[in-house]
Amino acid sequence: MTGDTHYDLDILAELAEGLLDVDTARQVRGHLAVCDPCGELLADLATVREVLAATPTPAMPMGVALRIDKALAAEAESRKGGGVGLADTPDWDELMRDAPWERAAEVPEPARFGAGKVAEPARTDAPGQDATEPVRLGVVADDGTIVQARRTRARRRGWALPAVAAAAAVAVVGTALASTSLLASGGGGQGDTVAPPVAQSKAVSTPTPVERNPTRARSYALTDSQHNYSDQELRQPLEGVFGPAPIVGGGTSDAASVDKCVNRVADRSKLPTYAVDQGQYNGQEALVIASWKDKAAQKLRIDIVDPFNCKNLRKPALGRW
Amino acid sequence: MNSPPETPSAAERPAVTDAELLTAHINGDTHAFSEIVKRHRDRMWAVALRTLGDPDEAADAVQDAFVSAYRKAATFRGEAAVTTWLHRIVVNACLDRMRRKSVRPVADDELIEAAERETPLPDQTVEREVSMEVSAALKLLPSDQRAALVLVDMMGYSVEDAAHVLQVPSGTVKSRCARGRAKLAPILSHLRNRTDLNRVSSAKGAELRDG
Repeated sequence: MTGDTHYDLDILAELAEGLLDVDTARQVRGHLAVCDPCGELLADLATVREVLAATPTPAMPMGVALRIDKALAAEAESRKGGGVGLADTPDWDELMRDAPWERAAEVPEPARFGAGKVAEPARTDAPGQDATEPVRLGVVADDGTIVQARRTRARRRGWALPAVAAAAAVAVVGTALASTSLLASGGGGQGDTVAPPVAQSKAVSTPTPVERNPTRARSYALTDSQHNYSDQELRQPLEGVFGPAPIVGGGTSDAASVDKCVNRVADRSKLPTYAVDQGQYNGQEALVIASWKDKAAQKLRIDIVDPFNCKNLRKPALGRW
Repeated sequence: MNSPPETPSAAERPAVTDAELLTAHINGDTHAFSEIVKRHRDRMWAVALRTLGDPDEAADAVQDAFVSAYRKAATFRGEAAVTTWLHRIVVNACLDRMRRKSVRPVADDELIEAAERETPLPDQTVEREVSMEVSAALKLLPSDQRAALVLVDMMGYSVEDAAHVLQVPSGTVKSRCARGRAKLAPILSHLRNRTDLNRVSSAKGAELRDG
């Protein structure tokens, strides 16, 4: 029974899943008891399960969530016969109630991230965004893959943008730039579900009071998401977390003490600070400081320091924007 | 890692059930559906991202699915859990998308190129590399096997829950999982030495071996 005949992965996988009939299962088990190579294959199968289970499942990026909210708002609109329906524009405060950055009392200054990319020519040798992410585009597998890769890059911008643009719509009433972005971003690849006019009406009708707080003096974007970061998240691109959070205005004593820490970190790293978020790291109050390591490759050095003594809470690591 | 769809922990069980929200939505409550989306979007995103292996495709699929659920909420019948129903719509949106684009199976040499394309940062962790390898390997599987493995092995749903989502018998889910794992074993087995899974898998193997 347990002679030279080995079993293949399919049989072993069926054994593991309990799909074999009793006799066959007994036969295979008998073989496994004496056959190391087959035991090894069985272990390989178990490895597959373990590896799949251990693969992290990231949360939905904010840009996608906003895009879906928008599509659903459009759907609600079209259901009512396409009326203008200002009263039914999405209640952004409600939708975003549980978003980590909603707790921030400060006023959003949403244009900062976008502006920062072009307004810091001295710090980068990258001429434009497309040139900054060459990795996926550069390698060509075959025709299908090339097309896929290019389209992918272009469309990713499509849903990465609304996170910032929508934040702008909440804060900046009637800003032409904001509504234009929304219109533009709403047009991409969403089939029959898009009704751009809704996006526009949202931009002009949101009643949030506006108050501008210049942040020009600071060379980096300061946000206060109070988000609790984990190592795993910090390995994801940071734009999804930092990008949508409201920019904190200057002038408060809080911002001043943050600035002190940021300067100390910059002294240590000798890198230009790009963005700073006030939040938590594994439950502990922390400043997450992102500085450009290699802007062309979108590589950041991420320092996590406690906001009181500016001591590193973990080893600085590389991250991506 | 993930709780099965039907059993949210007591702590996170909301005051208003999904079914009540769906009813409110059908009756014209304009915020009810947003709440449903907020509750389930991360899970739906994970399913779609793992099934399709591409964030843009996944974003499209999840959006299509939620819009479709919004439209056909009235056709929801109470015997299934709302989460199962939503999962079904998302999985079907993913499978449709794969069929429509006739996503072809990827050849082995393309896997290597895909890995190069996704070149990790120098000090990126084993975890991320593993995640990319898994993504690439899953794309080698036929869509039915992939969907079953995503639900059962990755999302941690029971075979029965997955069977409800996929609308096939439990035995079919098991055999799709078995065939999928058999295909992935040669590709992913080397990861046993890269992670601390060794001990676990050997113990499992031994347990199976000894009946």
